[in-house]
Amino acid sequence: MKRYVAFTKKEFLEQLRTYRMLILFSVFFIFGLMSPLLAKILPEILSGMDLQGMIITIPEATAVDAYAQFFKNMTQMGIIVILLVFGGVISNELTRGTLVNVLAKGLGRHTVILAKYTAMVVMWTVALVFSGLINQGYTMYLFDTSDISNLIFSILCLWLFGVYLLSLIILSSVLAVGSFGGLILTVVVLGGLLLLDLFPKLEKVNPIYLSSRNMDFITGVLTPSDALLPVLITVILILANISASIVLFNRKRL
Amino acid sequence: MTILQLKNVYKSFGKLEVIKDLSFSVEEHSVFGFIGKNGAGKTTTMKMILGFLRPDSGEIYVCGERVSYGNTKTNRHIGYLPDVPEFYGYMNPKEYLKFCGDITGLPREITLARTKELLSMVGLENTNRRIRGFSRGMKQRLGIAQALLNEPKLLICDEPTSALDPIGRKEILDILSVARTRTTIVFSTHILSDVERIADTIGVIDQGKLMLEGSVQKIKNMRRKDTIQILLSSPETAKELAEKVKELPFVIESEFEMDTVLIKLTNAEEYGKEIMSLLVRENIPVLRYEILEPSLENVFLEVVG
Repeated sequence: MKRYVAFTKKEFLEQLRTYRMLILFSVFFIFGLMSPLLAKILPEILSGMDLQGMIITIPEATAVDAYAQFFKNMTQMGIIVILLVFGGVISNELTRGTLVNVLAKGLGRHTVILAKYTAMVVMWTVALVFSGLINQGYTMYLFDTSDISNLIFSILCLWLFGVYLLSLIILSSVLAVGSFGGLILTVVVLGGLLLLDLFPKLEKVNPIYLSSRNMDFITGVLTPSDALLPVLITVILILANISASIVLFNRKRL
Repeated sequence: MTILQLKNVYKSFGKLEVIKDLSFSVEEHSVFGFIGKNGAGKTTTMKMILGFLRPDSGEIYVCGERVSYGNTKTNRHIGYLPDVPEFYGYMNPKEYLKFCGDITGLPREITLARTKELLSMVGLENTNRRIRGFSRGMKQRLGIAQALLNEPKLLICDEPTSALDPIGRKEILDILSVARTRTTIVFSTHILSDVERIADTIGVIDQGKLMLEGSVQKIKNMRRKDTIQILLSSPETAKELAEKVKELPFVIESEFEMDTVLIKLTNAEEYGKEIMSLLVRENIPVLRYEILEPSLENVFLEVVG
């Protein structure tokens, strides 16, 4: 346990001193701030443009638009930022050889995987809560939020998807070789999941569900019980990814 | 007590056989020099001892416990210095050693005390910079400190001196001489003078096979082929002498270059006086007479050459 805590602390120190933490929090801060603001001023920008006689009627922006912006940012740029910040967490150590000293001291390999995963999940959670709170505060300031439903649940779905994505990054980095092998494999798997999402019959067994139906929960089109199967499947996949990472890492040649 | 034992270990990468039937053992409190050319299989052997590579067959024991591939428990007895040690560049030496202490489960006070002691031993006690800017020699010294932190029973150093300048090499050898008082050391190298300086026993590996094993002194004596070097006043007398000694029965070979004669013979101490009496008899003036020590270099070249 002490060893696990020590390695987790090292991960946080690494994220801090290599500026990854700063990047993650800055970008998520901007997402929280920009989403409601963009929803508010977009109609004004459009109406201020010279459209040469064309008439566009734009409905007045609501809180729903602010959340739509937020989830769009998170599930597109947010995922890219997560991939860039955490993509090298294992690959870097393997290619540079920094793990050799650590493992030669008898630190269990499963401890390395679990500690890294813990640090990643904690950072993702804190960054998401941070961004969500800013977004919430600003949205409440600019809009009327009375017709918003299932907000917490919708964000929890996004969170769980992020936790799944991080487990995928770990597994891919253990499987693939080189600095970018893990990152490329993660992107390939994500691409595969996005393709699968095109088939309506498969949408509920796909973690993508948790990052693509967020607005349907907020507008009340879907209820949390609709997400039961996807949540269950994703939790199982997370556990499977991490277990597989540990087993494979134990047998990895260094 | 036997600290390290290899029994009939084989390893190949694809079709390339790297280690063939390698067996040797290292006793407690000795320094074992593992000698071989580049590509002889030294690093492969060390990685197998650490469980980083899986042997195709054979057994490896550390402190009597069998090494298993992958997540091996035997590593708690081992301190390892890789050929090019890599650290977390964003830490300073003290932070790194504290981290090492924490992940090996050492109590905090012990980690602090040993950190202080080891950093002064390797000469980094006043270096508070981050490791990112360290020279190779500094990294090598920090590497020894981290390897010794948990007082391992076995210290494995993979070519600790190969990449260093002469001063750096001397420093590392001095540190290892201090370290030998508290642990057993296995180190690989292709620099023979380093082995002669600190090793008690050596093993010469060539093409994956152990060609020679034993104490440094024993091996030197076993392969004894002494050389006497005589400096004369002129090249003519050198030529004359070189031809005359050839007739002596115990002389294996003699050659001259300018005014120096090199005589290879079976035992310089015993037959040296006959050379000297020849010099007196023939009235040859000698500027310098010297018995050249048999070096491991000669042994090495003879074994692997």
